[in-house]
Amino acid sequence: MRNVSIVGIGHTVFGNLSDFDLVDVMAFASGNALDDAGIREDRKIIEQVFVANMGGGIINHQTGIASSLVSRMDMEPAMAELVENGPASGASAVKLGYMAIASGMVDVVMVTGGELMRSVTGWEGTDFVASLLHPEAEYNYGLTLPAYGGMFTRIYMERYGLTERDLGLIAVKDHQNGAKNPFAHVRVPCTIEAIHDSENAHVINNYVAEPLRMYGMCPVSDGAASLILCAEDSPKMKYFTKQTPIRITGIGSATDTHCVHNRKDPLVLDAVRLAAERAYAMAGLKAEDISFAELHDAFVILELAISEEVGFFERGKSAEALRNGVTAIDGAKPINTSGGLKSKGHPVGATGVSQVFELVKQLRGQAEKEGRQVKNAKHGMAVNFGGFGNNVVAVICSRRDA
Amino acid sequence: MIDFSAYGVKTPEVKAVKCPSCGKLHYPAPMICNKCGERRDPSGVIFKHWETVSLSGECTLLAWTRVYALPDGLDMQYLLFGIVEFPNGLRASGRLEVDQPVTGMKVNARAETMDNSKGKEFDGLIFGDL
Ligand SMILES: [Zn+2]
Repeated sequence: MRNVSIVGIGHTVFGNLSDFDLVDVMAFASGNALDDAGIREDRKIIEQVFVANMGGGIINHQTGIASSLVSRMDMEPAMAELVENGPASGASAVKLGYMAIASGMVDVVMVTGGELMRSVTGWEGTDFVASLLHPEAEYNYGLTLPAYGGMFTRIYMERYGLTERDLGLIAVKDHQNGAKNPFAHVRVPCTIEAIHDSENAHVINNYVAEPLRMYGMCPVSDGAASLILCAEDSPKMKYFTKQTPIRITGIGSATDTHCVHNRKDPLVLDAVRLAAERAYAMAGLKAEDISFAELHDAFVILELAISEEVGFFERGKSAEALRNGVTAIDGAKPINTSGGLKSKGHPVGATGVSQVFELVKQLRGQAEKEGRQVKNAKHGMAVNFGGFGNNVVAVICSRRDA
Repeated sequence: MIDFSAYGVKTPEVKAVKCPSCGKLHYPAPMICNKCGERRDPSGVIFKHWETVSLSGECTLLAWTRVYALPDGLDMQYLLFGIVEFPNGLRASGRLEVDQPVTGMKVNARAETMDNSKGKEFDGLIFGDL
């Protein structure tokens, strides 16, 4: 297969952008990626655009978003499609971009993911995401993603002795990282005293889905991220001299039962494990080769569970690594250096693209000036988790000299 | 016994299905049996449906949570939810109505007609005290 590199990256700030139009927000990130790639007048070399978005049709009442973005960017007649794969739409779009190039069909692809969720109330936003659940056996009851996050957390705590304090420590680490990320939604560090140890901690950290508290859940965010991909054997690589190209070395995805209750062991996330195994096999790498990772911590428990499922730690042992600082930026296996979904935010369609944006930034060495650079970063992994684990996409990016 | 059907009143029921060729139970109804590959219409409208089995009675609470993040339209401060396992091995999610939930406790599943967040009526499971 052809080698595919990421030659440009763009990102809007994550937060409340509800005064803007959805496609405009995507266009900001896309323009940013074109600038980063060093393309201005030559934007028509982009032959294919993939747009990741989950709720445009439901919450923004906008459809045909991919065509709209192409037109706003003066990129006609590029081919364009929308990719909707729940909260894993972003990494799915990256995967399709990779496939379009690897197949030989095109040489240059733009992948842009974006979401505007804050224009509706929190209840409407929660309801929109819950629409991915099984209509009859889950959604009807009023079940939501936080509900499954809460149940998952409780079983994990009861089986492995995880404490609410451990959950707080994940938030503390993520907020520490996110505070240094100029694109993060909640750029405020928090302390374990404030959210757990103090007797008044519950006042600012109330339960959302027991035993998950406010600081155990990602915020509802707006935002977009964008990537430019190019075939390394294409003559068009000559346009992209501004940045160090970062290679996509592995991509894998997998599905699992739609209903959470139908999994043999509710704590085993088969789709995460299989997606990672497929990505490792393609990259010829193992879990220990990965320098750092962006893991989909929509609920903080998922950072732990995913890190075990992809083979970084044994089952039930990730909390110990967290307590020992192994997953901090200066630790042996930094996780969620961007702040993760917890602090950076989770505009669902943008998230997978944003995770890969962070991999590229770290692998280029450009997180240095923000004081959050992973030392000797060679291979980074992103895990974008859709549904409650029923559709998961893993992406590995590597330095070309690694 | 009062025959409610005479008044057009339907007894609430949540149905699981049974594969007629291998006996495997499923909930909710699939199109293809994951044990033997038998194919049936999950709606029972277009072609032959599975055999049905009523889902109720004693079961074990596998997981539970009290949720404050509810969908728009459910005007409650919180709801309790749980996942249970029935003695026949089937599992289901539903609303939980016990005072002190404990993982592993025995509960009683019953079907009730309720409204979803959009005001649409459906027959759903409630897990209450035995
Ligand atoms: Zn069968």
